[in-house]
Amino acid sequence: MVSAIVIIAAALAAEFMLGLFNERWRAAAYGVTLFALGFMAFISAEWVWAFAVYDAQPAEIFTAGVQPPFAINLRMGFPEAALTLLINLTGLFSALYLRRALLEKGRAAMAVLLVFVMAQNGIVLTRDIFNLFVFFELAVIATGGLMLLSEDERAVAAGFKYLIVSQVISAFLLIGIIFSYHATGVLNFDLMRPEHFAAAQGGAIAFFLMFIAVVAELKPFPANGWALDIYESAHPAFAGLFSVASAAATLYAVDKLLVLGGPAWLPVATGIGVVTFIAANLLALPQRNDRRLLGYSSVAQIGLILAVLGQRDILGDHYFFVAGGLIAAHAAAKAGLYWLSGLVASRDIIGWSTLRGHPVLIFAFVSFIALLTGLPPFPGFYAKWELAVALAGSGRYILLALILIGALIEAGYLFRWLGYALKRDKPSEEISCDPSAVTAIIAALAAGWAFAYLWGDLSAHGNILHAVPLLFALSFLLLDWLPAWVKNTVAIVGMVGYFILNYTDYDPLRLIFAVIILIGGPVILLASYDAHGRRIGFYPSAMLMYAGLTQLIGATDFFSFFVAWELLTVGSYFLILRGKHSEPHALSYIIFSLGGAFLILTGFALAATVSPLPMFEALQHLTGETAGWVFLLLAVGFMTKTAAIGLHIWLPGAHAEAETDVSPMVSGILLKAGLYGLMVLMLAMGKQRFYGIDIVHVMLWVGALSALLGNLMAIFEEDAKRLLAYSSIGQMGYALFGLALMNHLGWVMALMFVINHYIYKSMLFLSAGGVAKRTGTRLMYKMGGLITLMPLSFIAVLIGIIAVSGVPPLSGFGGRWIFYNAILSAEHRLPMVITFFSGPIAFLYLFRLIHTVFLGQLKDENRRIKEAPFWVILPQMLYVGLLMAFAIVPGLALRRVDTYLNQFFPEGGLNWEGITITSQFGYWSPVSIMIIVCAIFGSLFAWLMFINRRAQKVKQFNIVFAAERPYRPETTHFAWNFFAPYRKALGFLVQPFVTRFWETIADILHTAGDIGRRLYTGNPQTYALHFLAFVVIVYFFWTGG
Amino acid sequence: MAHLAMATGFILILIGFYGALTNRNILRMIVAFTVADSGVNLVLVAVGYMRGRTAPILDNTVPAAEAAARIIDPVPQALVLTAIVIGVGVTALMLAYSYKLYEKKRTLDITKHTELKW
Amino acid sequence: MQFDWMKIPYALLTLFIVINFGYLLNSFIAKIAARVGRRRGIPIWQTYIDVAKNYGLRTSITHGVMFYLGPVFRLSGGVGLLLFVPSIYGSSMFSNLSFAGDLILALYFVFFGTLGMALGAAESGHPYSAIGITRGLSQVTAAELPFALAIFSVALQYQTLSVTDIVAAQQGGILHWTLFTNPLAVVAAMLSFLGSMMRPPFDVVLAPQEIPIGPPTEYHSSYLALMQTNRAIFPIAKIVIYMNLFFGGATDWPTFFLKVFLIYMWSVFVGVSFPRFRVDQSIRWFLIWAVPIGVLSIVLV
Repeated sequence: MVSAIVIIAAALAAEFMLGLFNERWRAAAYGVTLFALGFMAFISAEWVWAFAVYDAQPAEIFTAGVQPPFAINLRMGFPEAALTLLINLTGLFSALYLRRALLEKGRAAMAVLLVFVMAQNGIVLTRDIFNLFVFFELAVIATGGLMLLSEDERAVAAGFKYLIVSQVISAFLLIGIIFSYHATGVLNFDLMRPEHFAAAQGGAIAFFLMFIAVVAELKPFPANGWALDIYESAHPAFAGLFSVASAAATLYAVDKLLVLGGPAWLPVATGIGVVTFIAANLLALPQRNDRRLLGYSSVAQIGLILAVLGQRDILGDHYFFVAGGLIAAHAAAKAGLYWLSGLVASRDIIGWSTLRGHPVLIFAFVSFIALLTGLPPFPGFYAKWELAVALAGSGRYILLALILIGALIEAGYLFRWLGYALKRDKPSEEISCDPSAVTAIIAALAAGWAFAYLWGDLSAHGNILHAVPLLFALSFLLLDWLPAWVKNTVAIVGMVGYFILNYTDYDPLRLIFAVIILIGGPVILLASYDAHGRRIGFYPSAMLMYAGLTQLIGATDFFSFFVAWELLTVGSYFLILRGKHSEPHALSYIIFSLGGAFLILTGFALAATVSPLPMFEALQHLTGETAGWVFLLLAVGFMTKTAAIGLHIWLPGAHAEAETDVSPMVSGILLKAGLYGLMVLMLAMGKQRFYGIDIVHVMLWVGALSALLGNLMAIFEEDAKRLLAYSSIGQMGYALFGLALMNHLGWVMALMFVINHYIYKSMLFLSAGGVAKRTGTRLMYKMGGLITLMPLSFIAVLIGIIAVSGVPPLSGFGGRWIFYNAILSAEHRLPMVITFFSGPIAFLYLFRLIHTVFLGQLKDENRRIKEAPFWVILPQMLYVGLLMAFAIVPGLALRRVDTYLNQFFPEGGLNWEGITITSQFGYWSPVSIMIIVCAIFGSLFAWLMFINRRAQKVKQFNIVFAAERPYRPETTHFAWNFFAPYRKALGFLVQPFVTRFWETIADILHTAGDIGRRLYTGNPQTYALHFLAFVVIVYFFWTGG
Repeated sequence: MAHLAMATGFILILIGFYGALTNRNILRMIVAFTVADSGVNLVLVAVGYMRGRTAPILDNTVPAAEAAARIIDPVPQALVLTAIVIGVGVTALMLAYSYKLYEKKRTLDITKHTELKW
Repeated sequence: MQFDWMKIPYALLTLFIVINFGYLLNSFIAKIAARVGRRRGIPIWQTYIDVAKNYGLRTSITHGVMFYLGPVFRLSGGVGLLLFVPSIYGSSMFSNLSFAGDLILALYFVFFGTLGMALGAAESGHPYSAIGITRGLSQVTAAELPFALAIFSVALQYQTLSVTDIVAAQQGGILHWTLFTNPLAVVAAMLSFLGSMMRPPFDVVLAPQEIPIGPPTEYHSSYLALMQTNRAIFPIAKIVIYMNLFFGGATDWPTFFLKVFLIYMWSVFVGVSFPRFRVDQSIRWFLIWAVPIGVLSIVLV
């Protein structure tokens, strides 16, 4: 094995060799540089291999052949090996990326690059604090040199600012070092002890100075203006290297120092870190410049890792796993993103839409954003989970909350950026596809996925990447070159096949969800046969969502449940984002979803610390105040997904703007994930109190209000798909209401809604989508009279609205019947009043839907419209059949669930004997009703046919119109603002209070960020003052606390 | 004597910082930083000083056997030497930068070089 | 399960009785209303003449399938509603088809006809029918609410959803009627009743006196005849529910006729005494006056 000092020696040797080269032998010099970096990486890799596979012991390297304190020593342990490997590889690929710049600037630039990488290696390896200072200064000087590689003129000023601030920092560091030496008598990390500092007079101050100086290199808020300027103006390759290598090295230096300082310093590190994390993310919100945005994000990420370093007391064995995971994710993502920014000409984040048309680069961009936001299967996700569990387990709730709030803000601007890139108009200038740059980016991408696999393997919870559904979804990334219909077939076969193999494993409750996901999903996918071409990106996203849903119902422990939750969120986000105008809606969807997911994470973390049992049992065993908190957090988290009122504003846009076959997926199927979560939660925990308030009672009200307001908002909607989306809010409100009744029939009703809502909402969304496709608009008042042109769509909508409104004989009535039986035995009566009101209101918007679109006057521009495409109609007809079947024999689906629920709610089940279903209070005979209604209807119809057989079909305008004939369908079709009297009477209820509330919060955050970032005036003297102020503030807190 | 040196060192640092943070002229800032550097170096040396001992140079007057008792601590001296070298390097780099900055805008006023901000 | 085929002729008999009673009642009520206005009014058999005339008309047009089916839906709704509820308490002959479902079935089947009618009228393409429908639908959502609350209150009171059981619980004297055991629910329901009878102050939906609006604008001949038949059945079917729930039901046909007539008269009394509300006013009126009473009845029961 090659000694670690050879890393430094190799760099030095190469630097001197470059000095001997002729200025014209640039290619050779470049070769030497690459070779040196590669060799350095090789040594680190060898050490990593030795530690990982052969369990090698850490190696001490004594320079000058003398033991410390008489000479400097280096150490190569596992963390050092991993970090130097990271640094050297990043250096290698940066050098590759910098090829053109380095060849142009010559050997001096290459030597400086080598010095930079060597210095970072030195910072990691050295065990001597003065040596640390030397390497820091080398890094400063090298940074100063590498800044000049940039083509941006402003880089000169940025480099100078950095030098100024680093002068101040190094003065602090040097004074700190000398007084530490005075206090301890040594300069060696291993020989210094926390007690030395405590014993000596001024020892603590000495440590403080040293510590604060090293921390300042991590760009803490507010002493980080210089770093942002560097990030913005440096050559992107160097910015990536700077962000990755110097952060990794300096973080390790801080780690070494924290061991010296003892536990008293951990809170200081955490405090600085978390303030930086939140502040940098907040200030990033108003950013438009991509590189500066990345700078803020880098600063934030490093702050987060610093905060984690401060938590080593509670992280225990997971310390390196968590910190390492965050560093690895940050490294792959930041290097990759900076390198990507080099390909994009525009510096505005909107300009990244130029990446479209390059699937690999887009995939890389998506992966990098996922790495940064800590989504599964990337290492940040595992780190987030372990961190949350550790923090919750030791009662550090405020810190956990702060970290999650910061992470949510970060996700906000990162996903906004992603949305711009995927949806905004593509600028005219193409990207510059420099092969060496693309190689570097792909290397970062590969590293990101390799980290994902590695962290999965290291994780105690098993590797996310081993789950079959997820692998199936990811395999569509590789199949994306196939035509859409092939992929569609593969998807359908895969999902149905998975169901056939696994359906015996589900209990009746889960089976209902499994059928909806794995059989219902493919039925909707039939409509996807209508799509032509390759439909790049659709199948990976859709399958990711289905994989998440499938894993969700199969999950038995907190971790896998949360993984599945995140997967389905991410998949559905990309699915929703595909709509033409869905960019802002997808953003609000992902933010709400991630916010909800963070609540769930917190709840799970709280619950998981109580007992290591499987999820269901662990929840059951919770007691006291914790139980209340867990229940509240999880309930609100799940209700975000069901779009309960107050948390609903993402839904209408997201569902309405999605593609024709996506709307039914995200409405008919995805919404059920929230209900499933609520069911698991409430089955396990029953009723919970939160400081004396019965949460389930509150949920009852929330459900009722969602039902009312969702329906009310739907009746005033002019857009067919938005109307259906609002209706989903109402329907989910009903289901939530049923669950919150906490009795047997309430649950049967909720399950009935689960099934019904899937069928009729999928059907209606498909019809509305088909109509919108043909007419080119979703505004209902622009349609009208389509019944003769699109009869099958009309039939689907007709059956759908009869079912939704609960009119017998269709299946919606069963839901109402069970609802009445359920509320008769409920404890609380007042919320019922609201649901009574919302029922008939549903009738209004449903009538609106069918009347305005299919009845009334046909418009001239629509006269040549054809029926919706076959593949869109086919699933609708299947749904019509299903609705009929479910109306006649609801027992097929519900009977087993009813029996299953007996173990949780023994009272008040239904009696399924014979054809009449009886409850404690009443009876219902679906078959008889169907027969009677058909008989009456049939006889009367026959009677009318008999007496009125000669009825003559008349033309459109042959109507009695006060002796005049209208000629314009536009003026004759009564459609716009259809329920004007209602608006007059109750319109005040649907003022967008909730939207305004959330908009105000977003506004406040943006404004705060915009004001806050003016702190960074661009003047290095201000920046130096910031550093001094930072020192004073930290000192003040340190002594005060 | 040691205290005096140390106090002087700190005063020099303060003067240097004050100068660097209040002067708008880049060259003046660099000079101010060298003043501060000197102050830092002075502090370093002052920490290593021990009353009544001699310089840590082993020659005829200080035989190796007695060295431990007769010389002052050699480590800070070594550190100062390194620090001075590094200081020179940084100062040189800053001067090079100031030249570049001047070339670009024909001014040495630092407040004119603040396009990067926010 | 054994199905008693005799239920079919018995149900048809009920239907026959009610249709004729309804025709006569409608004319009679119209006559009363005329007399209040110091007019002479129509003869008692006028409805029969109208229906016969409408069936006999030879002009017959259609605007499309839904238009054609509208009246069928409408009348099916009325007939179904009537037959899903037992007419005469204690008589298996006139228990009709109530084995199919309970009170909730009746409550929701009301919408069957409404929906079909609205769809049919809408296909005619006449804007006035659409306007009538929006008004009707808007008003009915608010008007039905107190009724639903009252039903819930009554179901809670008797702990059953079966109409027969509710009537059974009210037997044994007038003081056992829900009217006296749960007066608040009855008040709420009776206020709601005004909203569904198409009489002032809630008749802007059809605006029968001055302009044709709502579904009847385009319907004529046999369509109109079906609708007129429904106009005879539907109010009675609805009143039967009221009678069963609140006024002790009926054990024989004379009691049935009397109670139905008296309940109907309530809306007539109010109708001839008050001017008309706009739809938004009537929505507010129901929400402000009737709903709180219904809520109170639920809380207090």
